[in-house]
Amino acid sequence: MSDPRPAGVLRRLAGVGRIIAFCAAKGGVGKSFCAAAAGVSLARAGRAVGLLDLDLSSAAAHLFLGVPLRLPDEDRGILPLPVVEGLSLMSAAAFTRERGLALRGAEVSDAIVELLCATQWGRKDALLIDMPPGIGEEVLDLARLVPGLEAVVVSTPSEVSVRVVARLLAVLEDIRVPVAGVLANMVRHGAASVRALAASRGAAFAGEVPWDPGVEGALGDAEAIARLESTRAVGEALAAILAEPRRA
Amino acid sequence: MHEWALADAVVATAARQAEGRDPSVPLRVTVLIGELQAIDRDIFSFALRTLAGECSLPADFFRLQTEPAAFRCRACARQWGLDGQAGLTDEEREAIHFLPESAHAFLRCPACGSLDFAVEKGRGVRLAEAGQ
Repeated sequence: MSDPRPAGVLRRLAGVGRIIAFCAAKGGVGKSFCAAAAGVSLARAGRAVGLLDLDLSSAAAHLFLGVPLRLPDEDRGILPLPVVEGLSLMSAAAFTRERGLALRGAEVSDAIVELLCATQWGRKDALLIDMPPGIGEEVLDLARLVPGLEAVVVSTPSEVSVRVVARLLAVLEDIRVPVAGVLANMVRHGAASVRALAASRGAAFAGEVPWDPGVEGALGDAEAIARLESTRAVGEALAAILAEPRRA
Repeated sequence: MHEWALADAVVATAARQAEGRDPSVPLRVTVLIGELQAIDRDIFSFALRTLAGECSLPADFFRLQTEPAAFRCRACARQWGLDGQAGLTDEEREAIHFLPESAHAFLRCPACGSLDFAVEKGRGVRLAEAGQ
């Protein structure tokens, strides 16, 4: 008995330039915002970008970007939902809407493989993946299935976040997923702790994203998200990452 | 059609399995189609034949076999099949077709109502065997 879908995953991603997973060790550090903001910002800069929300049980990218949920169209696979010019989104929420989705580990893996095998991304400069918090099936499955995977690790300057992110960075190193950058989010009084963390692990510091009280008011409006100061900071960080070759 | 993406994956996998084999020994692959995913068998079969031809695989390379869905409740151990799940809307069935794990958002154990159940058989597409 064999699973044919991993071969399909490779074929579906063949037209994608860079594949970057936004990872965080704990919830609440703004990882989903950073992934969504990066997508909008890069798209507005003329890049073709896909956004894949792999936080299966707590999908939120569509909430940030105001994407109406509906079953995807089909064309030799399923087509991501359009967000704005240059940006499209695939999310389990397209299928489950606002219902809860409680999955066990093997089921999470199956769902990830299915989404990766069936989604036709076409030509994209970058596929950004909004990961669930923590170190679990999603990280391991992507490392197994997606050649060329990179990670952007998001942390707030909080000591709690920094200390658990250190474990995540160690795991990413162990499973040979290069870290394109460590991004400091929700920064109020400097991000020295995140800079030090990145330096201690030999990772690049990707930049500081300021604490932005405007995010809540921009929810559900991709154009409003695009105008935020925090989005500008995320976009600059990602543009710099994409301007450099993938780290080995 | 979604069936084409799955057929493409099946053919790519099978073509790799066929590589390096003695061409005088006919290889056939059985494709199990899980009932839960509700693949359109005609479209899937046509896609397989078309894509197999592009890889120089014989038209009868694939044998299709439907595997009935079987669920088991982790809370009360009740076992049941899709025929015990009346009441799904067309849109819910379509969602499960695209992403079988979304069944966990829509189905419940018919005995105790638990959402904690396992799909023991018949989830999606698998290659069952490769042989003569």
